[in-house]
Amino acid sequence: MDSELIQRRSLLKMLLGTPALLALGGCEETASTGRLKAVWGRAGTFPGGLNKPRAMTIDQDDLIYIVDITARIQVFTTAGKFVRGWQTPVHTNGRPTGMSIDHRGNLLVADTHYFRVLTYSPTGELLDTLGGTCGNGPGEFGFLTDIVEDSQGNWYVSEYGEYDRIQKLSPSRQFLLEWGGHGSEPTQFARPQSMAIDKHDQIWVADACNHRIQVFDTSGRLLKLWGTHGEMPGELAYPYGLTLDDSDHVFVSEFGNHRVQKFTLDGRSLGCWGTHGRAPGEVQNPWAVVRDSHNDIYVLDTGNHRVQCIQL
Amino acid sequence: MFQLAFDSPWYLLLLTALPFLWWASFRTLSGMGRVRRVVAIGLRSLIFVLLVCALAEVQLVRVSQRLTVLYLLDQSLSVSQPQTDAMIRYINESIRTQRDRARQDRAGVLVFGREGAIEIPPLDEAQQMARVETIVDREHTNLAGALKLAQASFPHDTAKRIVIITDGNQNIGDALEQARALADAGIGIDVVPIRSLAQGEVAVEKLMIPADLRRGQPFDLRVVLNNTAAEGQATAPVDGRLQVVRKAGGREQVLTDQEISLEPGKRVFSVREELNLPDFYTYEARFIPKNAQDDTLPQNNQASAFTHVRGSGQVLVIEDHENKGEFDFMVGRLRAMNLEVTLRSTAPEELFSDLAQLQPFDTVLMANVPREQFSDEQVEMLVRNTQHMGSGLVMLGGPNSFGAGGWTNTPIEEAMPVDFQIKNAKVKPVGALAMLMHASELAQGNYWQTLVARESLKTLGDEDYCGLVHWGMREEWLWRGMLRVGPNRKQMLAMLDRMTPGDMPDFDSSMKMARAEFAKLPDAAVKHMIIISDGDPSPPDFGSGGAIAGLKKLGVKISTVAIGTHGPPGSTPLKQIATMTGGKYYVVTNSNTLPRIYQKEARRVARPLVFERDAGFQPQIRHPHEMTQGIETQLPPITGFVLTTPKKNPLVEISLVSPIPTGNEVNPILVSWTYGLGKAAVFTTDAGKRWATAWTAWQNYDKLFSQIVRWSMRPTGETGNFTVATDVQDGKVKVVVTALDKDDEFLNFLNLSSTVVGPDMKPIALDIKQTAPGRYIGQFDAKGTGSYMLMVSPGPGRAPIRSGVSIPYSDEFRERETNEALLSSLAQTVPKQGAVGKLIDASPKLDGPDRVAKLLGTNTFRHDLEAATSSQAIWHLLVLAASCLFFFDVFIRRVTINFDWVPPLAVKVRDRLLGRESRPDVAVTMERLRSRKAEVSDQLEQKRAALRFEPTAEAQGDLDTLREELATSAASAAKSSKKATSLTPEQDADSYTTRLLKAKQKARTDMKKDNPNEPPGSI
Repeated sequence: MDSELIQRRSLLKMLLGTPALLALGGCEETASTGRLKAVWGRAGTFPGGLNKPRAMTIDQDDLIYIVDITARIQVFTTAGKFVRGWQTPVHTNGRPTGMSIDHRGNLLVADTHYFRVLTYSPTGELLDTLGGTCGNGPGEFGFLTDIVEDSQGNWYVSEYGEYDRIQKLSPSRQFLLEWGGHGSEPTQFARPQSMAIDKHDQIWVADACNHRIQVFDTSGRLLKLWGTHGEMPGELAYPYGLTLDDSDHVFVSEFGNHRVQKFTLDGRSLGCWGTHGRAPGEVQNPWAVVRDSHNDIYVLDTGNHRVQCIQL
Repeated sequence: MFQLAFDSPWYLLLLTALPFLWWASFRTLSGMGRVRRVVAIGLRSLIFVLLVCALAEVQLVRVSQRLTVLYLLDQSLSVSQPQTDAMIRYINESIRTQRDRARQDRAGVLVFGREGAIEIPPLDEAQQMARVETIVDREHTNLAGALKLAQASFPHDTAKRIVIITDGNQNIGDALEQARALADAGIGIDVVPIRSLAQGEVAVEKLMIPADLRRGQPFDLRVVLNNTAAEGQATAPVDGRLQVVRKAGGREQVLTDQEISLEPGKRVFSVREELNLPDFYTYEARFIPKNAQDDTLPQNNQASAFTHVRGSGQVLVIEDHENKGEFDFMVGRLRAMNLEVTLRSTAPEELFSDLAQLQPFDTVLMANVPREQFSDEQVEMLVRNTQHMGSGLVMLGGPNSFGAGGWTNTPIEEAMPVDFQIKNAKVKPVGALAMLMHASELAQGNYWQTLVARESLKTLGDEDYCGLVHWGMREEWLWRGMLRVGPNRKQMLAMLDRMTPGDMPDFDSSMKMARAEFAKLPDAAVKHMIIISDGDPSPPDFGSGGAIAGLKKLGVKISTVAIGTHGPPGSTPLKQIATMTGGKYYVVTNSNTLPRIYQKEARRVARPLVFERDAGFQPQIRHPHEMTQGIETQLPPITGFVLTTPKKNPLVEISLVSPIPTGNEVNPILVSWTYGLGKAAVFTTDAGKRWATAWTAWQNYDKLFSQIVRWSMRPTGETGNFTVATDVQDGKVKVVVTALDKDDEFLNFLNLSSTVVGPDMKPIALDIKQTAPGRYIGQFDAKGTGSYMLMVSPGPGRAPIRSGVSIPYSDEFRERETNEALLSSLAQTVPKQGAVGKLIDASPKLDGPDRVAKLLGTNTFRHDLEAATSSQAIWHLLVLAASCLFFFDVFIRRVTINFDWVPPLAVKVRDRLLGRESRPDVAVTMERLRSRKAEVSDQLEQKRAALRFEPTAEAQGDLDTLREELATSAASAAKSSKKATSLTPEQDADSYTTRLLKAKQKARTDMKKDNPNEPPGSI
């Protein structure tokens, strides 16, 4: 009798809950806010082929740089045409997982498992190497995840492993300060997988295993913190990549939810795009997201060895 | 382009019946109008043709001009890496420059060694190869198999060509025969020979032991060396050292170590040898060149051979290298009983690595050794050594034996007379094991993670629980949480095969899931978790409220395996997890060690299989047996043993049992049976160190253990002089047995049975037949490198004799010159309805780019082959069409369609289109009325004609009256037709007839009035 009652209650709840859910809207509904424009890239180790691509960035000429699990850095046009490629000096221990472009147009590579930052010219010439020793002292690096440069030429390097932190380095690459630490308290991190820097020199951090976004000023002071773990719109599951546009929107690629979500700067979800799968418009474990000069969003569809271009 | 074809064209003869159809239809449809009749006959004809075509099984054939080229790249060891690189460049350039994109040609690449594999499937869009990604067995060349795979890989709708890139030194299959089959299928073959500049090469071709070897008589070991001189160095000898070594009884003795100078060609060296002691002998010959450059391939510089001189039995005891000395007492007592016992530990340097190394021993005792200290191959060797070579196998108890030692679900369990799991027990020992997979970045990570999970699952008993967490779409259980292994084992193994663990961002969520599942298992006595990680996870929450603390509270121990994928192995978080929970922390640099670690860790879950009572209990003799003969019924007490269950097999003999624990049908202590050609026994308690301590002082200790060992041993003896010689030639091993009796007289008409075990531990059929007095010969194929052990049983009452042959290196290192004859024959194969293939060759003296350029001079995408056709049966569509047409045929004959409305409509449309003014409706109405009037007049005229009669002279008088009446009627009819055309013809006819009759009667009445005498009835 009790169980029958419980079943009835469950049914009633379900019936009552369904309209409420429909009213709230879900990813299926908000997915319509995104429009798939192009899919390019194919699995393979041939030039132009991608093999579990790990990081992506875009330069001022709208050239997209992608590094994959074979440690090849390959350059593509936004239409997916292979332009050139090269490989990091060594990659036995692991491959880079973060990249960005500095103000001189050079490519900064977080060579994660070699605890260093590589600086390449756009054509692939290795210009500089910083770090190389594992450690948690000032100026030493653990598993680097990303690196960004502010308008003053300072570098911010994120890392995880035993030391989840962000270090700030001066334009002469001297250690200035650090903040963070492993944990789930505000300002702490659990795998700060990627960073983006906005027009106000605020550092946006995808705090992946805490399923949240944290925003800091250049002195490491926490400005914003939003995001909770979940699958619903507005929630996050392992945010691995993020980028901002000029209209105060943040785009976050979620490794765990297999989608890209658009937020206001305060963390209000404006829509999401993508579901788990292999068909065009579906993604598997996206690692990175970038935006070009036409406001098109490029999602690094790691599990499917490809890039998808959307408008969201 | 489409064509029609017929599978049964003879049915088309039925079309000759078409004229008859036309003739018959023309007659039967004569009542129809001309047009309808023509249409109806046309439809019938079409239906008939369609049905005949359907009977003839018509096919729609599509002809395609596309071409698919598959490149078959030889990856066997006889092809060097630079040669492979050059050929990859050739393939890439050939596809890039020669493929006809407009024709949508396809290109693909297959690589082959022992088997073929698709490197790039045939695609429209040409891919460029950077390197060969597919892994094949390179120790053989199976070109025939690769050709077969290529044939199956072609798309059906294109012309087909294979470009074979090889040195042609096949050692499995017949490529030429397969090429003929391809030619019959219309597949063209081009051949690109792989050539290399000849270099100096010395090979030890074979080491021969004479067939008539006899104990105590000197004989010559012969070593055959072959010096293949480099091009242009025909006269240069190669200097080096020749070593011949004898191995027997665990000792190695150098028979010769001499400096030699090898002239080009073959040369035979002899070494004098004499065998006096019974043993199993292994000889090895090695050539060490003085100058390494004189010898291209070091792999073919040694050879080995075996022989056996029978004697008294020998015993091998294998003990745990981590607990050395545990069985010293037993070994000492056995030696005291005149048994030749060799004690070895499981340390890699001591343990056997080849089946040949087990041959000196007639029985093997596994003394409390755990599963993980043996490789799969060694386990297989132990079992086959008993099953096929007749050796004994005894497993002695201890906490590392049987199920507690992780031997569950292994071949050893199959070979033993007991199952290593408990069935129908009141006390069900239950363990729970959770595995967490985080090693996707490990090279072949999926393979290793699946393998270790399988090994763990095999170690678990049916009652145990098992779960596996990995990153799929998110962190998730591979199956639904922690499930009992017994009813789910097969499904679990199947799911493991489909597992593709992704890159798990952190452990915390997964560990929380594991904690929730462990909390649901209060009956699990042992809870264990194993985490494998490639070293870069985000650490879990080590705090008091975190997942680690929760697991620890539930009694879960976590062992962690750090595999050094990302730099130096070792991970502080992993070490911390193991330390906090009481598990073990492993640092792994070689993936090959992973299965053993997992076996060992999974074995922790099997601990409840050990039964111990400090108070002790007395085993009892259940059934008398040769092993317990002469032993008193009162046995000393023991304090423990490992729980097992006797197999339900009539061969199983249970000699000793334990009275406790109750609830089991029987608690075996000593059980035996015959397994294959050998004997196997289990002794589930130990030999006196831990549980049977009271036995060491027992007077029957020596007797019991020596009787167990002697019972299990292979029969030994020295009756008769049997020699077995082996010789390898062209992949076949010839076995020659010479049988003499003790007086050196030939033994004839013996029924020799034999068993051969190959390097893969699988038995090989060998039939030995007598060919001469005392001489018996058999032959078998040697398909791989390694040792082939053979046992020949001379018959009842005679001890078996063992021998063996070694194939030291692959044939890939034997044949070095390009097989010109085969390659030419392949290229000359003429495909059906196509042009002969081409031998695309260039001098090996050309360097890489020039050679590739030369090879590209021949277009492999030339289309001189039979165009591909693809056919589709359409008879059913024809039947459907005929059915539809039949409907129209009936329609056209039964239904008349009036098209009068068409012209006015056309006029209206025309006027509308031309913008003309339509004629007034009145005119149209008048025209219609006139038309109707004419129509009615015609009808009346016809009726009149039908009713007309010729008047007689007598009736002439009435005619005027009738004419008047008719005129009146006609006028009236015309008037009425003008008045209302809706009147029915029947009504008109009735009124007219009535009026006619009335007129007739009136005329008669008038005539009677005029001629009253005329008889009635005449007009």
